[in-house]
Amino acid sequence: MADDRKKLSMTLGESLRQQGVSRRGFLKYCAATASMMALPPTMVPAIAQALEKAKRPSVIWLSFQECTGCTESLTRSHSPSVENLIFDHISLDYHHTLQVASGDAAEAAREAAMHENEGKYIVVVDGSIPLANPGYSSIAGISNLQMLEETVAGAAAVVAVGSCAAFGGLPHANPNPTGAVSVGEIVKDKPVVNVSGCPPIPTVITGVLAHFLTFGSLPELDALGRPMVFFGQSIHDRCYRRPFYDKGLFAETFDDEGARKGWCLFRLGCKGPMTYNACATAKWNQGTSWPVESGHGCLGCSEPDFWDAGGFYNALSIPDSDLTRKTGYVVGAGVALGAAAGALNRSTRAKAAAKHETVTIDDLDKKS
Amino acid sequence: MSEATLERGMNAFREQMNAPVASFFSSCVNCGMCAEACLFYTETGDPKYTPIHKLEPLRRVWEQEYTLWGRLKSMLGLSKPVTDELLEEWETLIYDGCTLCGRCSMVCPVGNDISYMIRRAREGFVAAGYAPEGIKGASRRAITIGSPMGVKFPALAAQIKHVEADSGLTIPVDVEGADYMALLSSMEIMNFPEYLEALAKIFKQAGVTWTISSEAFEATNSGIQIGSSDIARELVNRVVVAAEKLKVKYVISPECGHAYTAIRWEGPNLIGRPYDFKVVHILELLDELRSAGRLKTEGTEDDRLTFHDPCQIVRKGGVLEPPRNLLNMVATNFVDMNDSREMNWCCGGGGGVSANERAEELRIKAFKRKKTQLDELNVETLVTACANCRLIIEEGLEEYRMEMPVVGLTEMIAEHLVEDEK
Repeated sequence: MADDRKKLSMTLGESLRQQGVSRRGFLKYCAATASMMALPPTMVPAIAQALEKAKRPSVIWLSFQECTGCTESLTRSHSPSVENLIFDHISLDYHHTLQVASGDAAEAAREAAMHENEGKYIVVVDGSIPLANPGYSSIAGISNLQMLEETVAGAAAVVAVGSCAAFGGLPHANPNPTGAVSVGEIVKDKPVVNVSGCPPIPTVITGVLAHFLTFGSLPELDALGRPMVFFGQSIHDRCYRRPFYDKGLFAETFDDEGARKGWCLFRLGCKGPMTYNACATAKWNQGTSWPVESGHGCLGCSEPDFWDAGGFYNALSIPDSDLTRKTGYVVGAGVALGAAAGALNRSTRAKAAAKHETVTIDDLDKKS
Repeated sequence: MSEATLERGMNAFREQMNAPVASFFSSCVNCGMCAEACLFYTETGDPKYTPIHKLEPLRRVWEQEYTLWGRLKSMLGLSKPVTDELLEEWETLIYDGCTLCGRCSMVCPVGNDISYMIRRAREGFVAAGYAPEGIKGASRRAITIGSPMGVKFPALAAQIKHVEADSGLTIPVDVEGADYMALLSSMEIMNFPEYLEALAKIFKQAGVTWTISSEAFEATNSGIQIGSSDIARELVNRVVVAAEKLKVKYVISPECGHAYTAIRWEGPNLIGRPYDFKVVHILELLDELRSAGRLKTEGTEDDRLTFHDPCQIVRKGGVLEPPRNLLNMVATNFVDMNDSREMNWCCGGGGGVSANERAEELRIKAFKRKKTQLDELNVETLVTACANCRLIIEEGLEEYRMEMPVVGLTEMIAEHLVEDEK
């Protein structure tokens, strides 16, 4: 207990040093954050100073209709990195996937964090919120909508992590049976930052938090509510295969010579040109690689409605209108066929039920 | 009077086709992982015992009548119909080679509940007249006499008298307004009367008001085992009527596994309404009494002993920790088997296999799985909480010449009760 209290009162700098993060490592992180956020190098000491002195901010993480991939993205690292340590050093007061407490104790932790940090805590949300029926997703008997509204009421800012929270994501995809909506459609009176992606890049999440700690404000946002510094450029503009695109060299299949030579994947359905994210620069798995580098086109996961944006392998050059009409026909036919098959199956089953003769002990034998 | 026909069987198969069945069949990737989880496969090495393969007749009906490709295929004469011969061949797979233990469902990578489907497939088999004689007989006796082993109330009354005389305790019968109504399985009445005595002793110490109903004391449900909801419904209904007549708050399922499944999980669905009472397993009740401090024991068992988790109670019933809590109250040297709790291996006799004489040879072979588990542990005593498991294990141990007492957990607790009020 005493340890916990001491940890709570520690600044981020003290806490990081206690974890064995060297001053050099810390400054490297600050420099990286500055460059990620497109800040001038002169800002590095300012960032360092602010983070050094910052108290561990309270973060309440709410998970709604989601697959936990966002949490996975954040926690899965093979060796501790500074951004992971940053995450260890915020006070993650409620996260029902990661926390040890459950049931009433977990909800009590959330409420305690809300009261103790009134007006100062950050709410991170992953997952979309079902409006059709609260029963589609609830926690401890509290509907997602209710939990979001009551938690956000005293928050300083809301970070919608992942495409589900930012834009509705997969749950919002047609026909959206749960009536899923994004965080931004509900929270109107607090600043909301959309950190989209399926999942989002961990550095981007921590970058937003670092910005908040350093400047006490949220970074500049684009039209979709995403931090400009990370979502300001398209995948295509930062892609290392871009020179091939400019030269007109395209892979036509995933195993042809072009693919082996690392040519542009545009014709294989890469959505890089319409997708804004930092994958090409920040990369994944501690800078190991990113989808295009491992030979697959960008799916456009950080864009709104990416599930409903046509096939992953349809090149963008197929005219949009044509695509819509074609898929329209196909989907229409599919739905009709599905409905017909469903009706047929229901009637087969209903007929069978109507023909049911009660099995009694006299009917156990076949007449021979 | 009617009789079983292929047509009725086919109709029953069609009736069983619901969303879970359809999605299970369409999502099966034929990986065969369920085989390794099934003791009938591991102990015989015969691939026909692969759990999903046992469902071939049901799968064919689904494919041919519920899927587009299947309809086309049967129109073109490309698929094989479900025939009497097929059902006859599969009868032994689905009744002799499956105990509904559900271990296969635990390992399925796409989450198919195979034992749920076997239970449904049996509906078709029984309606078509393909059920083993042994379970047919048990079902007939359950319906006409009141218990699958042919035990009538006078036999129970006689046992009650013996127990009362031996122990000086009273066993309440037909007491209206008692909190608990205890159910028994015939196996416990005839083979293990110590269970009854144990109940009386424990409830006296804990101050539990309870009763036995003379109209419905039997909990085993051959309807579930043979796979007929119609028969199962009638058997469950007897218990419900008796419990509601006596106005009890709780009905206690006996240690018997399928009895627990029948009354606790399938019952309300079978009769189509919720009960007026709650169902608890005896181990859940004992554990509750333990944590409330109403169960006082003295002395300990110092043998090296282990617990066999009955599949219906533990894996499918969720009673995982109560047996361990109770055992640790009285045993100093308790060890868990490998694969204990929800992944425990079945004794080989559940799901009606023990009532099916024809299956005996196969059952003994399958018991080798349990034998291996026990050999690994090197224990002196085996404790369990299902009368059927207990009998099957005793038979298996005898067959393989293993000297090891098999004890019911409730009795073990009863033996260690502090007898302060004498």
